[in-house]
Amino acid sequence: MDGYRREWIMIPKEFGYERPFTLYTPDGRLIQVEYAAEAVRHGSPVVGIRGKDFSLMVTHTKDTDPLMDPVEKIHLVDENIGIAGAGYTGDINLLIDEARLEAQRHRVVFEDPIDVRTIVNHITQFMYQFTRYSGVRPLGAALIVVGVDRIGSHLYQIDPRGLMMSGKAMAIGMNCEEATNILREGYREDLDMKDAIMLAVKALSKAEESDSPVEVGIARGSKFIKTNLEHALSLVK
Amino acid sequence: MTTVVGLKCVDGVVLASDRRASKGGMVGSKSVRKIYALDEKKAVAIAGQLSDASYLINLVKAEAKLMEFRRGFPLTVKEAAKLLSNIMYLGMRNYAPYITEIVVAGIDETGPRLFEADVSGAITDEDFTATGSGSPMAYGLLEGSYRPGIKVSEGASIAAKAVKSAMERDPGSGNGIQVLKITKEGMEWTDIGGNGS
Repeated sequence: MDGYRREWIMIPKEFGYERPFTLYTPDGRLIQVEYAAEAVRHGSPVVGIRGKDFSLMVTHTKDTDPLMDPVEKIHLVDENIGIAGAGYTGDINLLIDEARLEAQRHRVVFEDPIDVRTIVNHITQFMYQFTRYSGVRPLGAALIVVGVDRIGSHLYQIDPRGLMMSGKAMAIGMNCEEATNILREGYREDLDMKDAIMLAVKALSKAEESDSPVEVGIARGSKFIKTNLEHALSLVK
Repeated sequence: MTTVVGLKCVDGVVLASDRRASKGGMVGSKSVRKIYALDEKKAVAIAGQLSDASYLINLVKAEAKLMEFRRGFPLTVKEAAKLLSNIMYLGMRNYAPYITEIVVAGIDETGPRLFEADVSGAITDEDFTATGSGSPMAYGLLEGSYRPGIKVSEGASIAAKAVKSAMERDPGSGNGIQVLKITKEGMEWTDIGGNGS
């Protein structure tokens, strides 16, 4: 009998090291993928908001010890796109590098910066492959992608299932439900950038109590910039 | 079929080129670009097969950008030149060489730098250089006029004169001059002459 047709419960013994990690349970769930999503829920939170002509995200820089330099969590992917992740740092870094590669591949082929939808789609496909093959582990990472291209500013979320979602305001990482509730209450269509930053920071502090400095990523015009909260607020005065 | 000139000055570097693209014995284009910016502080000037050169430039720009995003600070001019010449060297070794010579110029922490990469992937560190079919004429002027320690403003006029004298005697060069000055302040592009002669 082919191993793949055996009862789910029998697989560990038969497959040895070649056991596929992602296999359906009898009721149709992919347990390992759900565990990956659970890992993300323990990650430090990221909040993103999309306004009329901008989109932005906020995180706390990760500082583990006063003697250590804080770890920055917002990553530049290209001039017009930034990504922050929640979950396992190694998995996030793998995705960031893949995104950067894809952005530059696009430039080599088309001599133009990549659009946000295309890069999000690529990352999603890349992540989805880890739910399909044996011998790999689904990536324990969710991403918030903020970017701007010639059709406007964008806010996307990608989760370990390989699911991409576009939206006006969203949160990933620990206590993201609480943060999302704050966003739901405070979001208005005509939010200007200053109010959006304040709302995002409020949602972030609801999700995670921290004294660490707030990092802000803003996509506006044709550029994505990464900065601190003070400078971000001075930009909108 | 080109004249391209590069000069190292005390406060920056200068690149200059003509604007003619040749198709056999014919003028293929009268307004072709031969100088390309890699980033705010680095640029290249090309001679030879345009398609090979523009593919190489795209590749180097992408690799340089990736490196910059990964490590957080840009490539030096020498690193960029070496990256370019490594690709050209592999091309030669695989019997599919990139038919182009590229002048890499820029400014970094070590100051103004000028390199030339040839078909074989060799790079040389130069004070001044010229490539393309008009280079013998350009060298004539450069050997007489270039002095170490000149400023970018003076270097730009020497470079333009070198390209101009090459355009007078080389049928593969013509149709105007483009000059790029790179200093700490940034880049300054100048176009001299129209597309007629």
